[in-house]
Amino acid sequence: MSTHPAGRGIRAVAVVAFAWRRHRLLVIGAALVVSVVASAALAGWIAPYSPYDVNIADKLRPPNAAHWFGTDEYGRDVLSRTIHAARISIKVATVAVSVGLVGGTVIGSVAAYFGGSLDVGLMRLMELLFSFPAILLAIVLMAVLGTNILNAMTAIGIIFIPGFSRLARAATQGVMRQQYVEAAYAIGMSDLRILGREVLPNIATPLIVEAMQAFAYAVILESSLSFLGLGAQPPEPSWGNMLNSGRGFMDQAPWLGVVPGLAMFFGVLGFNLLGDGLRDVLDPRMRRGLPGPMIPGPMRVHELKGGRLQTVGK
Amino acid sequence: MLRLVALRLAAFVPTLLATSVILFVAVNVVPGSAAKAALGIDATPQAIARFEHDQGLDRPLHVQYLDWLGKALRGDFGTSFQNHLPVGPELLTRLPVTLELAILAFIVANVIAVPLGAAAARSHRHRTDQVVTLVATVMGAVPNFWLATLLILTFALKLGLFPAGGFVSMAESPLRNLSLMIMPALSLGIVSSALLLRIMRAGMIEVLASDYIRTAVAKGAPAPRVVWHHALRNALIPFLTVGAVEFGWLFGGVVIIEDIFLLPGIGQLVLVGIINRDYPVLLASTLTVTVAVLTANMLVDVLAGILDPREVFVRPRT
Repeated sequence: MSTHPAGRGIRAVAVVAFAWRRHRLLVIGAALVVSVVASAALAGWIAPYSPYDVNIADKLRPPNAAHWFGTDEYGRDVLSRTIHAARISIKVATVAVSVGLVGGTVIGSVAAYFGGSLDVGLMRLMELLFSFPAILLAIVLMAVLGTNILNAMTAIGIIFIPGFSRLARAATQGVMRQQYVEAAYAIGMSDLRILGREVLPNIATPLIVEAMQAFAYAVILESSLSFLGLGAQPPEPSWGNMLNSGRGFMDQAPWLGVVPGLAMFFGVLGFNLLGDGLRDVLDPRMRRGLPGPMIPGPMRVHELKGGRLQTVGK
Repeated sequence: MLRLVALRLAAFVPTLLATSVILFVAVNVVPGSAAKAALGIDATPQAIARFEHDQGLDRPLHVQYLDWLGKALRGDFGTSFQNHLPVGPELLTRLPVTLELAILAFIVANVIAVPLGAAAARSHRHRTDQVVTLVATVMGAVPNFWLATLLILTFALKLGLFPAGGFVSMAESPLRNLSLMIMPALSLGIVSSALLLRIMRAGMIEVLASDYIRTAVAKGAPAPRVVWHHALRNALIPFLTVGAVEFGWLFGGVVIIEDIFLLPGIGQLVLVGIINRDYPVLLASTLTVTVAVLTANMLVDVLAGILDPREVFVRPRT
């Protein structure tokens, strides 16, 4: 083990180089996620202007040296607003995914662990929630709860619960057949302890992967709600409400319809790639277990010629 | 066959009732707000009380629900709090618009997903597969309302190929109707195709590795026939199930797409219902969307049964 700083640096480079060769998409995804999270966390330092500074004299300026992505209808800097908008997306997605993850895991694992009529009842309820189109359920919940960003988090979180609960239930059922759970039961561990100490760590992998996908979807849902005017309220910038207010100026200022969307696209892409990549790393069976097809491409006809097998046609 | 349909129908009714209860309760848990929205912010308490009494909003919730359900079953969805027009006929004029949009989008999604997914599976782990998978990942990360914005920017404002929004019915002018519908359908369909493509690819890879495909290849069946005839049919079964769910999501997506392209469909009605807190309108429109989604799911269940005889209900031994 090298303790020299230079040695550690070389090791870090080697790890990244290895990761880049083996899991390229994971690295790209992680880089995108890190940059979105960083711009959310450091928005105040990175952004060249305040996202709220109105300057009517400079309104609807196309991209230029002072404003790289132009200005909006109030002369506010689009780049600064796009960077600050990452805050809302990350905040909403973090809370919503946590609500869905915790709620779904508890419901799913409890249903699978105790079984019987509790299982049937809980899963029926989940199926019912699942049968609503997600965005519609979010819109109705927003109408009920009132349009603000805290309610958006709750609404999106509730939408995620059925998906996580299904996954947690299936994974728990798999774990329940393992001997170590039987052993834990045999030595008299309480149900709660078995669920927490034996079951939970062993069902975490698929849930983490799902959480990444849910994160991407939460970003889209939050933007959709804000786009419809039901989520983040102006002047607070959100990718959704920026695109919405840009709708009125599309022929004069097309950048208003492009820049926030591009940021949102890269954020969503990052979480999707990170999720896919993590699944490959954490659950190699998903990767290697996939059987190959019997007919890869055009079939070739082989013939014995002079004692050697030769390809004679397609 | 008939038994399968009957079973699905039997499961369909309670689900529908339960969803209607959830929607009804969700819409009605905030007291007073409907009256305030209809009468204005400075309505007197007396006026609010009178409004609630006239609309029957002061009765217990379960009485309101049963009353509403009884009328809804007879096609009477009440009158709008805002313009005092009956909601039922409004739904009927708007439903065809939404249905057309959803079906067109679904066609777009499938036309992209099925051939590309199958082609990717055939060249599993080769160049085509990698490119198709990458394209699917990128398409899946584009939010549909941003795609809609980009399509308007490019094809309506820059190139002037299609109108940016509005609606003309199919009966009035089929060509004009399609030119107005093509961008909404593309924005919904392209995004949906990403997930469908992944499912198609995964299903096809699994089927192509199975024994009966080996048999078909061994007996000398030509490759296209094996792929399109033998394999596709079985790969379609899991695909259909996901397809039904995706169709439901398409229906959810129409709210935002109809708003962007100014299509007078059910989705717009949902939005109007929310903004005005117009309970009869909101309830009827969200319920219509949910019914459409549940119906799609049920139809697919039946269709999957027809495609895969193993899934047909097996009569228990007596």
